[in-house]
Amino acid sequence: MITHEDILKIAKLAKLSVKETEIEQLTKDMSEIIKFADTINTAVEDKDEEFDDINNIVNAYHEDEVIKSFDKEEILKNSESVGNGCFVVKKHVNRR
Amino acid sequence: MKLLSRIKYINNLLETGEVSCVELTKKYLDSIEKENKILNAYVKITQETALKTAKKVDEKISKGEKLLPLEGIPMSLKDNMSTKDIETTCCSNILKGYVPIYNATVWDIIKNQNAVLLGKTNMDEFAMGSSCETSCFGGALNPHDIKHVAGGSSGGAASSVAGNLAVYGLGSDTGGSIRQPASFCGLVGFKPTYGAVSRYGLIAYASSLDQIGPIASCVEDAAIIYDAISDYDSKDSTSRGSRTKTANSLNKCIKGIKIGIAKEYFEGIRDDIKSSIQEAVKVYEDLGAEIVHVDLPQIKYALPVYYIIACAEASSNLGRYDGIRYGYRTSFYSDVDDMICKTRSEGFGKEVQRRIMLGTYVLSAGYYDAYYKKAQKLRGSIVKAFKNVFDSCDVMLAPTVPTTAFELNFTSKDPIETYMTDICTVPVNIAGLPAVSIPCGFDDKGLPIGMQLIGNSFEDAVILNAAYQYEHQVKNKIYKQTDIGVRI
Repeated sequence: MITHEDILKIAKLAKLSVKETEIEQLTKDMSEIIKFADTINTAVEDKDEEFDDINNIVNAYHEDEVIKSFDKEEILKNSESVGNGCFVVKKHVNRR
Repeated sequence: MKLLSRIKYINNLLETGEVSCVELTKKYLDSIEKENKILNAYVKITQETALKTAKKVDEKISKGEKLLPLEGIPMSLKDNMSTKDIETTCCSNILKGYVPIYNATVWDIIKNQNAVLLGKTNMDEFAMGSSCETSCFGGALNPHDIKHVAGGSSGGAASSVAGNLAVYGLGSDTGGSIRQPASFCGLVGFKPTYGAVSRYGLIAYASSLDQIGPIASCVEDAAIIYDAISDYDSKDSTSRGSRTKTANSLNKCIKGIKIGIAKEYFEGIRDDIKSSIQEAVKVYEDLGAEIVHVDLPQIKYALPVYYIIACAEASSNLGRYDGIRYGYRTSFYSDVDDMICKTRSEGFGKEVQRRIMLGTYVLSAGYYDAYYKKAQKLRGSIVKAFKNVFDSCDVMLAPTVPTTAFELNFTSKDPIETYMTDICTVPVNIAGLPAVSIPCGFDDKGLPIGMQLIGNSFEDAVILNAAYQYEHQVKNKIYKQTDIGVRI
């Protein structure tokens, strides 16, 4: 059973702000969806079965060398706020 | 009856000089200008790019040079594939105005072949939906009947091809997003084996399930496109490339081929769809195929397993949208944390937020073992079950969707009811297998019915050949031209 508190906790973890007016409906929807997801717990578990990767891919390593990357100006051009070659955000570390 | 444009036909028109590539491209652009107001298949028209490429193709033709298979063919790209210097939004408010600085590998490949990009197509926001109606631009309509949706999430791609506003489109399939709209719009939709086509530059929804593939008007076109785009790519860590070319192996006799039918796929399927598939089974029997009945009880868990895994991966993948580096940023906030939360809540639509919440829940402390870990174990069981099935058959035949195209405003109903419509398509993504949806009839409203052929891992050529043999046998009876778009 999902409660209003659960919704607020999940929203905080997911970095979403849920409006007061939305909590009721979201709790209802999420309860339904979780009930649906719960059906997997009726399955008899195959103890040997572990899933890692479909195609049994192993890590692909490459040489540790510096290769051409994107131009800094290019990378910055999609941001709402830039300055001195950096992304600009509100100050969020305060001096003690 | 006129049929939709096909790649080889257009390639021939261009090479013989019956039409120039610029003329052809203008025809498509004019039709888009007129018809897209209704269909809403495209969310961006790339007229300049299209005409520039078309001119290059005409220059090549004037020199008497032979064209590459996709050269000069007007096509569309789903708006979740990155296109350098062309806005790519995933049909989400959070990415409006975002202009990628690099190309998705698939676009790089076909761009190098001088494919004529007409525009970016509509989709459910971040590919999360089955009707295209979660798009921030509104849904794409079905050219067979505009009171119905084109399907989703690659609804715009299907609408663009069925309305003949593109010869083919590239879509992506995480839980059926290529096959379902292809089925709704009477087209061929092919989801290749996971790893066959590079995902580099495809804006991620659920990385272990996402796969790019073609939506086309016939099996041969799907095979030609697959051959062009399936290649190993070092930029995608899960890339394997293709094992065989498919277009030149479409004429193989299927006498003696074993086609598996699992009854589990037919539970809850509408009767007229069952009958259409039974008719198709008869066609295959006439072609000399052997029908074998197989058991696949594990697929009853496929849907919840899919939603748990897909949403878990989505909650992680979509964590990158924080309003700092790209995309929308809220205007009023107190601190960075407040900015990120408000940006995400204002930028993402309701369905996307719901899936992020579910994904966060199943990964959170106390619930991880019961949901995510359990779902991963069941995924292993489903992979194993399919492997066993393919010991006794070569391909499987199943419905693509339990119904034909939904009426408009479908997703506004109960979320679970919407999720249930993916029941036949998600098992393939869970197991990473190839599957192609092809038309196999019409319902009493004249809406197309689709069926899918499922193959073993990397046996893409086998299912495309089986699909081609059926298509060849029933000829044009399964295709219906709409009154929209370009006539060639």
